[in-house]
Amino acid sequence: MKHAAALAALPLQTHARLRRLVLCGDPEVTWRRIMAGERVVAGIDERVWRAWRSSEGLEDTMGERCAESGIGVTWMGGPGYPAVLLRDPNRPAVLFHRGDTGAFAHPRVGIVGTRAASRAGSAFARRLGHDLALNGVSVVSGLARGIDIAAHRGVLAAVGNSVGAPVGVVAGGIDVVYPAEHAREWEEVCSRGVVVSEAPPGTPPETHRFPLRNRILAALCDVLVVVESRARGGSMITVREAATRGVTVMAVPGSPSSPVSDGTNALLRDGCAPVTDVEDVLVALSLQSAGLPAGGPLRSVDTRRRPDADEQILLAAFSGLPRTCEELVLATGRSRFDTGVALGRLEADGWVSHDNGWWEALLA
Amino acid sequence: MYAAINSSTLHGVFGAPITVEVHIGHGLPGFAVVGQPDEACRESRDRVRAALLCSGVEWPNRRITVNLAGPAEKRGGSTADLAIAVGVLVANGDVPAEAVDGTAFFGELGLDGSLRPSAGAAPLAFSASGSRVVVPAASIHEAMLGAGRRAVPAASLREVIAVLKGEEQWSSAAQHPGPEDARAVLDLADVRGQHQAKFALEVAAAGQHHALMIGPPGVGKSMLAKRLPGILPALNEEAAFEVSMVRSAAGLPTPVAPGRVPPFRAPHHTSSTVSVVGGGSPVRPGEVSLAHHGVLFLDEMGEFAPTLLDALRQPLEEGTIRIARARSSVELPARFLLVGASNPCPCANEQVTGCGCTPQMRRRYLRRFSGPLLDRFDVRMWLTRPRTEAVLSAVPEEPSATVAARVASARDTAMRRQGCPNSLIAPSAIDEVAPLDAPARAVLEAGLRRGDLTARGYHRVRRVARTIADLRGDASVGEEHVRAALGLRRELGDR
Repeated sequence: MKHAAALAALPLQTHARLRRLVLCGDPEVTWRRIMAGERVVAGIDERVWRAWRSSEGLEDTMGERCAESGIGVTWMGGPGYPAVLLRDPNRPAVLFHRGDTGAFAHPRVGIVGTRAASRAGSAFARRLGHDLALNGVSVVSGLARGIDIAAHRGVLAAVGNSVGAPVGVVAGGIDVVYPAEHAREWEEVCSRGVVVSEAPPGTPPETHRFPLRNRILAALCDVLVVVESRARGGSMITVREAATRGVTVMAVPGSPSSPVSDGTNALLRDGCAPVTDVEDVLVALSLQSAGLPAGGPLRSVDTRRRPDADEQILLAAFSGLPRTCEELVLATGRSRFDTGVALGRLEADGWVSHDNGWWEALLA
Repeated sequence: MYAAINSSTLHGVFGAPITVEVHIGHGLPGFAVVGQPDEACRESRDRVRAALLCSGVEWPNRRITVNLAGPAEKRGGSTADLAIAVGVLVANGDVPAEAVDGTAFFGELGLDGSLRPSAGAAPLAFSASGSRVVVPAASIHEAMLGAGRRAVPAASLREVIAVLKGEEQWSSAAQHPGPEDARAVLDLADVRGQHQAKFALEVAAAGQHHALMIGPPGVGKSMLAKRLPGILPALNEEAAFEVSMVRSAAGLPTPVAPGRVPPFRAPHHTSSTVSVVGGGSPVRPGEVSLAHHGVLFLDEMGEFAPTLLDALRQPLEEGTIRIARARSSVELPARFLLVGASNPCPCANEQVTGCGCTPQMRRRYLRRFSGPLLDRFDVRMWLTRPRTEAVLSAVPEEPSATVAARVASARDTAMRRQGCPNSLIAPSAIDEVAPLDAPARAVLEAGLRRGDLTARGYHRVRRVARTIADLRGDASVGEEHVRAALGLRRELGDR
């Protein structure tokens, strides 16, 4: 195990080189041969061999690092390598994981999107993540800001017996939390599901690693849902990777005037199936909505407390626009104290959200 | 040959009694001031000599030694001039020693023998010992705030000499008019709309909770803040006295009748740390002390130097600020209500949707406030530009007097219940003074579980909830009060 990690962590390592090294056979044997001065594969120049040979002891450092952070290592052909990746043309040669890899046994749906998400988009991603988890689906996402983290927050908010485990696919080392403010979600995803990365522990999340991460994310999904995306960007890279692998790509329709829906609307125009609620995704997975409370209609996955009559009047007063508390007071004629308290209740239950004095109703 | 004259010097905002000893003896003619005086005090040699000569007194050409006796760290300033001059006169036999019995003197002398107004006349007169305090005529009203009728005015050294020789009587204080309290109290009704912010301010005023306003420029943040003194409970006699003392010590015009409206201080964001927290040599009170018992308003709080903002943490916690120097340390009063104002993002644009700032930019902008400081703001309000219908609505705005009455009654309730404003309730006492009913507890526990609320935030929310209940005249803290308190404590820039 530690030898595979060390091979991945060698200086001047590239994907092509690592792949060829791992294909040589048992990483431990390969490691010893390299350290003994043998050129185990052809076509690698002397400079690289010298750098590699001077890395004696790296296997122990990596072993300790992995053990410290509870990170497991697997490699192509090694024990525990996710079956779903086995047939992937561009699979990671060495894969680091923290958590229970059993998550891969469930149906998996990727939820991706822009980091600069709108609140409606974040709320939908959260809802979708939550509902999919309740249906026993593993939600795969990148733990990035915006849509990614919203989806996983939804998963983590789901409670029940057969809740799908979250899967995080990250670009840097698993012990390098990025962005730092997601440390709590990161930890929870590790404990309730699994976080995987092909970067050895300690690797900073460099820019070039994100597109590579996206290919693993795409490879791990049965269905990929894009919630919000600009016309270009990381989500679109994931979409391309998914398309080359034959993974079903679905998109959430957005307002034509919203730049963060340009990408998703373009996908819909190109023939992607639209997603407006969890059932659309479950159909694509050919799943019955099994994890639902018995007999309830599908919409009942909305576990929010139903607003009472007064609260419904308040929600109706939004008429689809962001409002200030003042405007809601004027529109409903109720006192500002009562309006403030009612907004607080609705916010706690997830019906409205607040940003810098503006309130938005989340009716999705 | 020897004289001892009572005087006092200023130490921070407090006066300290000192004794000026003068000895005139044989030896080479000279004039020395001993007793570790500071620079201004050493210069008083030259002023005193010139002033005495100009007042028609013959300078004794003998060896004159002046000793300032008092607490070592508290000798300084130019206020001992008059006492030194009188000491020389008494020691030289120009004035009978009985004439200065039980009388204290302070004031800076001009070269022509006139007495100049001194900063800190109120605390100086307050601390001077004796049944009579002679003070510069221009400072008499300030001095009377501290010493009442013990203070008598003198316009010049010549006048002092004449009275001490028994040729004249002390003049009356009435001949020297003092400044009036010229501050206009602004009315809350001038601000149209912004009811949510007004409610938040009312809560801040009632419970003495520090408040933070977030909103684009021009929505009325400073307008609202300036109206806060008008709704705060009026100062009691003791507080008004303390406010006058600080103003006087800072050398600001101090109204004759101490105003009952709490002070309002709004230092500019380019102010130096010393000017805000106090300091210098001799130590002068800063804006935090001038805002004692009142409001310290920091407009554009993000633009203040981070070190300055962090320096506010001690006064926020303890109600005083301690300025330590190598040789002495001064404690200045600084119990104020902090009101901060900031734009929501660097572009300061109108609406969330119209703002070009990315969430990262906004987060970075609001991250300028350190967490510990931010934590002290129990009341946070988001101001948005009022739409026309709110501005033009015919609904009459509440005048300050109505709000002030509610605030005063809520504060009264709190003082009678626990003897302090709600923001100062000790965590150990909170269960007793602000018991929660079951639904209210459930709301808070849900917040704790979700991680929206820290343990510290939990106590702070309970205090604010107590204030809201007081304002609404409810005896116990219920779910709606807790909800409203949580609504006033939303995280900044969270998305």
